[in-house]
Amino acid sequence: MAAMEIHFTLNGQPVAVQAEPDEMLLEVLRRELGLRSVRETCGLGICGACTALLNGQPISTCILLAPLAEGCDITTVEGLGGRHPVQRAFEEVQAFQCGYCTPGMILTIKALLEEQPEPDEETIRRALGGNLCRCGCYLKIIQATQRAAVLLAEERRRQVERSAASTS
Amino acid sequence: MARHIPAWLAPTSLEEALELRARYGEEATVVAGGTFVGILMNQGLLQPAALLTLRQIPQLAYLRIEDADASGQPLLRIGAMTTHRALERSPLVQRGWPVLAATFALVASPRVRNQATVGGVLADADYASDPPALLHALEASVVARSLQGERLIPVEELIIGHYETSLRPDELLTEVRVPRTMEGAVYRKFRSRSSEDRPCVAVAAVRRRGRLRVVVGAVAERPQYFPEICALAEGQAPIEAALAREIGERYAAAIEPISDARGSAHYRRRVIAVEVRRALEDLNRIIATEGGSQRHA
Repeated sequence: MAAMEIHFTLNGQPVAVQAEPDEMLLEVLRRELGLRSVRETCGLGICGACTALLNGQPISTCILLAPLAEGCDITTVEGLGGRHPVQRAFEEVQAFQCGYCTPGMILTIKALLEEQPEPDEETIRRALGGNLCRCGCYLKIIQATQRAAVLLAEERRRQVERSAASTS
Repeated sequence: MARHIPAWLAPTSLEEALELRARYGEEATVVAGGTFVGILMNQGLLQPAALLTLRQIPQLAYLRIEDADASGQPLLRIGAMTTHRALERSPLVQRGWPVLAATFALVASPRVRNQATVGGVLADADYASDPPALLHALEASVVARSLQGERLIPVEELIIGHYETSLRPDELLTEVRVPRTMEGAVYRKFRSRSSEDRPCVAVAAVRRRGRLRVVVGAVAERPQYFPEICALAEGQAPIEAALAREIGERYAAAIEPISDARGSAHYRRRVIAVEVRRALEDLNRIIATEGGSQRHA
């Protein structure tokens, strides 16, 4: 069977890409779409360096057959724009050294905080259990998650105030 | 040699999927969530002629409760394409089958649980997965469908060996049925390496209508259950400390454990004795204090 065309939404934009049916989404994101934030490390779905959000939920792109992304909404860290509260928290806290694992961490934390805006430390640790950082920045990453929760809460409060001001 | 590229079969109805399954048989690898298939293909261990995905059949992802048990007890029906995360986060499952929700929440990482399905983990029959031992202990069954009709297979009879099931090449696993937990159920996952790892030793213990059912997972090619050892607890509630220890030791002696990266056979045998005893202690506590079921990580 020849290459097939796969359609999905990437960071808010519809895309159509060529892929073989036995290729993983990771290869397609890197080769066809030039995304470098998704990284192959273990190839087993264990380390989290290839994390993307599929319909808002983190998945391992290294073990997702590319055609399974058909019709889905895919988000990579490029789609967050650089000033997302989780990204700002990572900068403020300096929650990285080499930065290799950071995109996967940020996406996992974004999904966690959307589900649970005020997670306790145990919940954060469990959510990040499948994202490995070989520099060992775990304590800083947990602090960054807590800081991101505060920044997101502030953002929500400002939105409420703005919508209240515009309706009064 | 040119690389063989598999055909991609993506039926949009169960009927179409069953026809393709009948036509291709073992030539086509069934893709549910695709985590296990992805890992095998990355390792070069799987080169199927075709991949048959069930992803585009929305009718296969559901959670329903039904009063179908002969005793009038509710029955949980889980569509095979339901993800681990959907199961663990379902209020319906958390209320009625808390041990099930808690056990699926212990599998790997959130990423894997967003992708992996309830049907997939049973059809893989991977010795080191968490759910099979618990579903065996809960006396769950699966529905196997083919163009010829359907049959109900107890999980105990579904997993027959190392990555081997009793499903026929023309059958698809479409549903998992779980009876109510009854008096109490626990699942203990003993990990020897890291939090997102698979179990080194897994113990599921369930008490239903006074009968004890202990199933040990991840230690041999299939879940291990010894009715004659469990019968020692007949009429014993709570299970006294000496009996809990004896049942643990007998399980450890009866099982021929494997050695892998998570532990040697010798190590596993020692852990089995301890973890089975602890599971029975947990079960006593749960039945006494909560009258329900709970997990223990």
